[in-house]
Amino acid sequence: MTLDTSIFGFEFMQRALISALVVGLCAPAVGVFLVQKRLALIGDGLGHIALTGVAIGFLTGGSPLWTTLATTVAASVVMELLRSHSKTSGDVALAMMFYGGIAGGVYLTGIASDKGVANLQQYLFGSLLTAGWDEVWTIAVGGAAVALLMLVLRPWMSAIATDEQYARVAGLPVAGLNLLLLMTTAVVVSVSMRAVGLLLVSALLVIPVVTVQQFTRSFRATMYGGMAAGFLIAGAGVLASAVQDVPPGATIVLIGVACFVVAAAAAATARRVRRTWRRHPPPEGEPLEVELPAGPLGGPQPSTKG
Amino acid sequence: MPVIATRDATVSYGGRDVVRGVDLVVEPGEAVALMGANGSGKSTLIKAVVGLVPLAAGAVELFGLAQRRFRDWRRVGYVPQRTGAASGVPATAAEVVAQGRLAHRFLGLPPRRGDRAAVARSLEEVGLADHAHCAVDTLSGGQQQRVLIARALATEPDVLIMDEPTVGVDAETQAALAEVVADRIDAGCAVLLVTHELGPLTDRLDRAVVLADGRVVHDGAPPRPVGEHADPRHQHAHPHAGDESDDFWGGK
Repeated sequence: MTLDTSIFGFEFMQRALISALVVGLCAPAVGVFLVQKRLALIGDGLGHIALTGVAIGFLTGGSPLWTTLATTVAASVVMELLRSHSKTSGDVALAMMFYGGIAGGVYLTGIASDKGVANLQQYLFGSLLTAGWDEVWTIAVGGAAVALLMLVLRPWMSAIATDEQYARVAGLPVAGLNLLLLMTTAVVVSVSMRAVGLLLVSALLVIPVVTVQQFTRSFRATMYGGMAAGFLIAGAGVLASAVQDVPPGATIVLIGVACFVVAAAAAATARRVRRTWRRHPPPEGEPLEVELPAGPLGGPQPSTKG
Repeated sequence: MPVIATRDATVSYGGRDVVRGVDLVVEPGEAVALMGANGSGKSTLIKAVVGLVPLAAGAVELFGLAQRRFRDWRRVGYVPQRTGAASGVPATAAEVVAQGRLAHRFLGLPPRRGDRAAVARSLEEVGLADHAHCAVDTLSGGQQQRVLIARALATEPDVLIMDEPTVGVDAETQAALAEVVADRIDAGCAVLLVTHELGPLTDRLDRAVVLADGRVVHDGAPPRPVGEHADPRHQHAHPHAGDESDDFWGGK
């Protein structure tokens, strides 16, 4: 099968490709901290909330991008306050986001019935091909801002994501950084709904990161590798969807899932092979566990109490 | 001016007092162990000192300042109880130790030469210089513990606060760690150490404070091991270390 790239002569395809590449590059920059914090599903939660935001856009006649951004940022603030100041656990707050977001979206779309459910569908599953240049610019600017912020703040963000208690004792502004993380996630969700759709937005946050971390040893390499993988997966998804005339969002996510499965299998195999060929070299200074001969001070009998 | 001073410190979990009116003073350069059985409230007291759990009553002062107003966290090196250092995303030992320098850095600015040097020096001190670029989750339990201690050392603190740093660490590593900590004590760093076992680390102590049921029952010379506990083969494996629930000793 030869790849027919003539389709990229069309401007709408160029726009689609640029949007997808930007989202693919920037989403993992935030996602790496979410995976670290074990909040991999938060993007999906905010994606559901974003439905309500889109419906508010229909209702008010405003641009869905901006109403979505406002709604998801507000929701992320509420979520963080709930998590830190009440006894609501993370997954309960997440569940509320899933239910409330969908219900709000359907309810408000029902009120604004003249705009129709068909319109909502393009946000649910993505509709790259209808994006205009101004939307592409919004995606590029929002994505670049988020990625830059995360790259600059990487050591601080990874500290709060790894060990929040230690970060507090180190005097870091933990509450502020947590909020910043959720708000940047909200921005990524809002700008990437064009590319992969609200229901699949979590995928680009998470899949590139968990794919490359099969092979990486450092946080930095995982972050950069995740961004590169997201870029490639998004690009490949748009190409494949253009050639086969299928929805780009679903194609991007399927390619991502396939990459993850292959990477996980390859990493498991590599580990097994390496273990067979050479053991992990015993670290220097690591003493052998040896049994000491019983001394005169020893108790009545050698104790091996566990 | 004491480095750490608690006055009548009381901490409650769900209306139950876990720490009851504890007065604890650590002077500059002094090495103090906080000892007691599981559930005696020693870890909780430490967490109250660094501000991770709120006080129900009493006061905590760090370097003469009320704990809530204390901001100079670069003077405090904290080693939390190890809770499986492996997390969602891999990180190298050097990256974890570098977190100890964040208190010295301005938000968003790259590390300076001094920061990188402190990280390298701390890894060297705990004997992990060769493992700086190994993923933490591929290291052994004792090595992971050493990484956490190196992170606290990298802060170049005036007081080291360590919560059970020797749980799951073999005797030889304990001896190596004791040397590292002794060097810091010699350099004038104060140490507050939570432990429930006597070992090389406790040999260098100036004082031990023993808690039982949330109260101070002993404040003076460190206790010496007797009987079975003096046996170097005696295993100190504590399946419930860090477990905050009620235990056999009726703690909390």
